[in-house]
Amino acid sequence: SIYRRRYNNWSEQVSSGICPSPHQQQDGDPATNGTHMSTRVRYTPYAIPPCHWRGNFQKQDQVQANMEGEQKPPERKMKGERQDETSGSWFKIIIPFGIKYEETWLLNLIQGQCSVPFTPVEFHYEKMQAQFFVENASIAFALKSVNGKIWDENNETVSVFVYPSDAPHSVQKELMSEKVEQTKVMQTQDYLLIASSGLLGDLITHDIAMVLNPRNSMAASLQTHGKNISKVKSAGELDKSKSLQPEEMSANRSSLCTAFPDKSTNIRSVVHYVTPWDSELCLMDSQESPSPTSIGIAAHKKLPTCKVRRVDQAGYYLIYDSGDRQGLLSAYHDEACFSLTTPFNPKDPALAAPGNTHTGQTTTSCSLFSPRSSLCEYFKESRNLKKLKDPSLRVQLLKQTKCDIVRSLCVLPKTQHDLSFFVVDMWFQTGVLLCVAEVEGMSQDSVRAFTRTFIATPVSNYSLCIVNDELFVRDASPKETQSTFSIPVPTHSCSSWPTLCQKQQEVVQTFSTQSGMNLQWLQK
Amino acid sequence: MGDKPVWEQIGSTFIQHYYQLFYNDRTQLGAIYIDASCVMWEGQQFQGKAAIGEKSSSLLFQKIQHSITAQDHQPTPDSCIISMVAGQLKADEDPIMGFHQMFLLKNINDAWVCTNDMFRLALHNFG
Repeated sequence: SIYRRRYNNWSEQVSSGICPSPHQQQDGDPATNGTHMSTRVRYTPYAIPPCHWRGNFQKQDQVQANMEGEQKPPERKMKGERQDETSGSWFKIIIPFGIKYEETWLLNLIQGQCSVPFTPVEFHYEKMQAQFFVENASIAFALKSVNGKIWDENNETVSVFVYPSDAPHSVQKELMSEKVEQTKVMQTQDYLLIASSGLLGDLITHDIAMVLNPRNSMAASLQTHGKNISKVKSAGELDKSKSLQPEEMSANRSSLCTAFPDKSTNIRSVVHYVTPWDSELCLMDSQESPSPTSIGIAAHKKLPTCKVRRVDQAGYYLIYDSGDRQGLLSAYHDEACFSLTTPFNPKDPALAAPGNTHTGQTTTSCSLFSPRSSLCEYFKESRNLKKLKDPSLRVQLLKQTKCDIVRSLCVLPKTQHDLSFFVVDMWFQTGVLLCVAEVEGMSQDSVRAFTRTFIATPVSNYSLCIVNDELFVRDASPKETQSTFSIPVPTHSCSSWPTLCQKQQEVVQTFSTQSGMNLQWLQK
Repeated sequence: MGDKPVWEQIGSTFIQHYYQLFYNDRTQLGAIYIDASCVMWEGQQFQGKAAIGEKSSSLLFQKIQHSITAQDHQPTPDSCIISMVAGQLKADEDPIMGFHQMFLLKNINDAWVCTNDMFRLALHNFG
């Protein structure tokens, strides 16, 4: 099995020295300098209703902080005026049978269900479709939510689909942003690729959403593994192999734009585009770089041109939240590792129902714990090695192929991540990206905090493959965290542990020196 | 421990060693790192044994206790170990705070060292 293969390879390559010896330290490769980024910022949320969020939610009216520390008010302009150019991300909105509807009527119908005002640009009809453009991902996301909520006078559903797009022609010549040149977006039926032009070498360019060749069948590839895929929804068509080259992408893109969607009757709602944030990472053109591993201000001096990009994780979460996680298949290496941990413990006496047996993790009947049942789904997959003693279960819960991984992800509860508050630490080293990202999200009507630790490597110039992925899920709701879990006694006895209080922020300040906006900008 | 894969044994042992060291004498923490190691602590970056050791010593609390509520270890393709720890900590008399920490462990000349260490206080309090 693949598990054995990775295990054997791993064991052969290292000796099993157990304890790090303080007296035998030797330096590693001195050239293995990496670069880091950490981010703690707030962005305009994706138009998620405020009632679902805790205090992190920022209203649309609030200023949108960009990474340079400047703040620009997101003015909502009247129809006909240009929208705020802060984001620079354009989206095409397609109404499949929009030819039937008069423009004003249609736009009013959509606006009536859209939680934010939008300014349509270049409204036009194309074949059977009505199309227009909007700028700004949060508006696009709000429009995406309109799908399925509007009907025409004959009670027929009016579908609304959203795709990333280049800026419309009338706007393009006004745009001087390098982001447009640097970011090419390819759309397939359901999934998106974010690729960056000019990115070469060993360094990570972007994360996640991968291009999928619509001609290959994912169902077929799953069956080759002989797995039971009854739980797995058909996600459309995926390309299991490497992603397309940019020339292919461009060619496919135009054909897909016109092919979609008026023929299919089971169109899934789409979207999901990653907004390039204003923060950017430095990448090096490998043709110019003497050493792909040394990044940073010092290295920058050696490079006549240094392109600036940023790793954007939002796309992963958007697919994760989309209700169909099959799109993540291409984000993982064939033999990636994934495991999940949650501190939820059904043995907690505060939660235990009478007659419950404290045997193991996954055998517990989670329905006994109704206040906690929403964490049960995570708990079933949880591989908390502190608690999990059954060795076969430990093996089982470490998912080791991308199909196993995605199948695991697909059975986890539905989520809605709040990407407006995102804490991430990243480290590049010899072409490997190490990342820890903490995001808050909704899952089964409870607020959860997700911390995702992953290692990823580039597999081509345009895509990233996750080789290790560890997800930690916990409650983030203040009420539920007050002394609910028993705190294990530390090595030194401690009298009483005070309950968690609101002084956390002050303490955070003590720990943190600079939080957030301390990215290093390297301009081209 | 006989049934555990090697990386779990190593990861668990390292974790235990690390937090004991942190509690007992964190000035000695530098010993588990190498000069190429990079620590990211609440977004701040420190590289190399000296810098890391200095930062550990300069932290503003006398004693810090860590209580681990979850840990997980995975092998990496290049024969390292990635270890994830989540738990709560208490520094002196400050309130308990949640934290998350990731270690990347590498075997160099039969000794396991930490090449990367990322520490973050939890965004939110949790149990």
